[in-house]
Amino acid sequence: MIRFTIDGQQVEVPEGTTVLRAADQAGIYIPRLCDHPSLTPYGGCRLCIVEVEGIPTLQTSCTLQARDGMVVYTNTPKVREAREFVLTMLFSERNHFCMYCQESGGDCELQSAAYGEDMTHWPIQPNWHPYPVDASHPDFVLDHNRCVLCRRCVRACAELVGNFTLNVRDRGSKTMIIADLDVPLGESSCINCGTCVQICPTGAFIDRHSAYLGLDAEVEQTPSVCVGCSVGCGIEIATRDNHLVRVDGDWEAPVNDGLLCEVGRYQPVRDERKRIVTPLIRKDGSLQEATWDEALNLVAEKLKSLAGRGSDGIAALASTRLPAEALYFFQQLFAEGLGSEMATSTDGHAARSVIVNGQAGSLEALKTADCVIVLGEDLVKDHQVAGFFVKRALPQGTRLIVIDSGENALHELANYSLRPRPETIRDLVAGILAASKGSDPSQPDVATTSQRTGVDADTIQAVAQVIALAQNPVFVCGAGAAEAAEELAKLATSFEIPVIGLGGGANSFAAAKYGLDKAFTVNGQQAAYLALGDDNPAQDLAQQLANVPFVAVQASYVSPVTDIADVVLPVEIWAELEGHYVNLEGRVQEARRALTPPAGVRSNTEVLQALAQRLGIALDGNWLAELGLETVVA
Amino acid sequence: MSKPKISSDWLAVCSGCHMSLLDIDERIVEIAKLVDIRSTPITDLKEPDEDGVDVGILSGAVNMTTHEEVAKRMRERCKILVALGDCAVFGGVVAMRNLCGTEEALRRAYVETESTDDEGKIPSSPELGKPTPVRALHEVVKVDVFVPGCPPDADVIYYVLSELAQGRIPEIKDEKLHWH
Repeated sequence: MIRFTIDGQQVEVPEGTTVLRAADQAGIYIPRLCDHPSLTPYGGCRLCIVEVEGIPTLQTSCTLQARDGMVVYTNTPKVREAREFVLTMLFSERNHFCMYCQESGGDCELQSAAYGEDMTHWPIQPNWHPYPVDASHPDFVLDHNRCVLCRRCVRACAELVGNFTLNVRDRGSKTMIIADLDVPLGESSCINCGTCVQICPTGAFIDRHSAYLGLDAEVEQTPSVCVGCSVGCGIEIATRDNHLVRVDGDWEAPVNDGLLCEVGRYQPVRDERKRIVTPLIRKDGSLQEATWDEALNLVAEKLKSLAGRGSDGIAALASTRLPAEALYFFQQLFAEGLGSEMATSTDGHAARSVIVNGQAGSLEALKTADCVIVLGEDLVKDHQVAGFFVKRALPQGTRLIVIDSGENALHELANYSLRPRPETIRDLVAGILAASKGSDPSQPDVATTSQRTGVDADTIQAVAQVIALAQNPVFVCGAGAAEAAEELAKLATSFEIPVIGLGGGANSFAAAKYGLDKAFTVNGQQAAYLALGDDNPAQDLAQQLANVPFVAVQASYVSPVTDIADVVLPVEIWAELEGHYVNLEGRVQEARRALTPPAGVRSNTEVLQALAQRLGIALDGNWLAELGLETVVA
Repeated sequence: MSKPKISSDWLAVCSGCHMSLLDIDERIVEIAKLVDIRSTPITDLKEPDEDGVDVGILSGAVNMTTHEEVAKRMRERCKILVALGDCAVFGGVVAMRNLCGTEEALRRAYVETESTDDEGKIPSSPELGKPTPVRALHEVVKVDVFVPGCPPDADVIYYVLSELAQGRIPEIKDEKLHWH
């Protein structure tokens, strides 16, 4: 431990801690702009300067490591004068006009820093050079007039997201933040994750959806979990007067460290689907408003008449966007209570989490991996935040091996890109692992593997070598490698390589645990019950249901499926519900209510309970215990 | 001791800062008890006394030659000059004009406006003064007290006036410091 003093206060921090972080821990605030807890120290803005006894010049505390016996002052006249000078130069460089900026009044770190120095005016006025405003992006605008060139956005894009879209051009006062080789943001390689917008200290990045809808102090922040996919990112839902303002990544969240992808951040605010707020019953060919009792009684009556019938009974499908509580009731009601042979989830077809020694793989493994083997999943398209962890590690020398028979944007980033024949991923993995551990008579040799999979022997040999030399290799197993999941788990156990199994939807892990894991097909069933929640149903679902005589849908939004339904039961959306989500690591996370649902709308669990009650089916048991997790990670 | 004299005027403004001054409501009576309110844009007397006032308050940016004259006259005739509001302090919304240039702004306003006919022309008369690049007040004359805000809050203005009325220099900081 290092012991030193800041402003006369004794501070004790682990070796390697910067003076700025140590001050934060001691409750002493040093103003800063370019520094961010999630980014590596940069020393760019010079605002965090401090005086250190024995050092003649002021030092940037964000890059200065604390040393034993150091005596640091953060607020001497010399420091304050220099800090005001730094701010004066920042304000003189571009055009910072608070009166029409969406961040003004508490959200702008530049303005707050100036307030902190009691700056009533700018000693040096701007030079009035107009800077461009890039409004080419669908989700945000970049106003270069408000940029202080702290490069937080550039560093976040590279260090955190691994997308390397943002960069800088030129030097000194001519420096400009650019996308790719200086193209408009909307035409760049940007993947719309919005991390740059969230991390910008000023109003330079303007969020099109939430600008001027409320400052941080004016909105309510509800910590919750993203239900976009099975990664289960921690989010902060910003609401005002029961309206969704914005979704931010939660910097404190264990899964995503504050990162979100387009699906988590922007899809919810772009959603323009029509909401259903009253139960509907088909009468004379069209859906008409009904009471809850009428709708529930009608569904219960129909289900009761088909209870216990097998293939001509009930087909039931639940979205994995539903909370675990609802999925558990759904399984109890349809599979157990009503004896449906086709009670499954929307991720019945997708990969399940790979359980090795009773544990699902942890995403943490990706953060320390020096070799990542991705099987059958395009992490650029799906489970994007897991993809960020992989992409951002590549410049540090982490080797990427992609094994996928199909299209995969990771192929072009990979050190080794393997395209085996369909259905041979298991053979290929077995062959590679055998080769990497030397000769194993029980496993096929390289030549046989090559012949079977269509991947040339040299590549198999080279990949085996890379894995053998890796200190921390990690397998990432996606939907395209689902057939190989169990075998992979066995292999991974014997070779002691962690496997991260990517699920599908937010609660696909829980759905699989409850046995809702068949591919959904309709074949002669007389009724279908679809608990869609706020999910966007698959394109062909309505067609699949075309010949089913009775279709009941539990849904939040109008869709092709509700259009063909006989009964529609309106339910809460993601931001309105309370419940739990089990991510691909088996981590149980709580979704909290940020919005009050419209009157007349019920929760997913309430609807299932009401039906069960009418059918005389007891919904007992415990959803958490039934997950069968050896240890619950909260 | 006689009551301190206060004069005010506006330059290139929306007049919101003076509206905010009126928002101190009945407290203006207290101020009037303490000071002698001389020229203001909303009283009959339009120019500060030739023999001087104690406090001069100017809102608005300097964007033409006539404003420069007003600013300089106020500076000459007052002991303490207050820049009131973001336009006087920073240039404010008025200074957006600097980003496109005075010529372009005039052309857009008088010639290219959707409602002007073919005859649209930029007014020019010696009485109007000559447009200049927009400057904050302290770029033209020395300013003693900066009161930023768009507009400054009525409570802040009341604080500033009451301090000045009692011979103190107001300190704008913490909850009184707002740039918008």
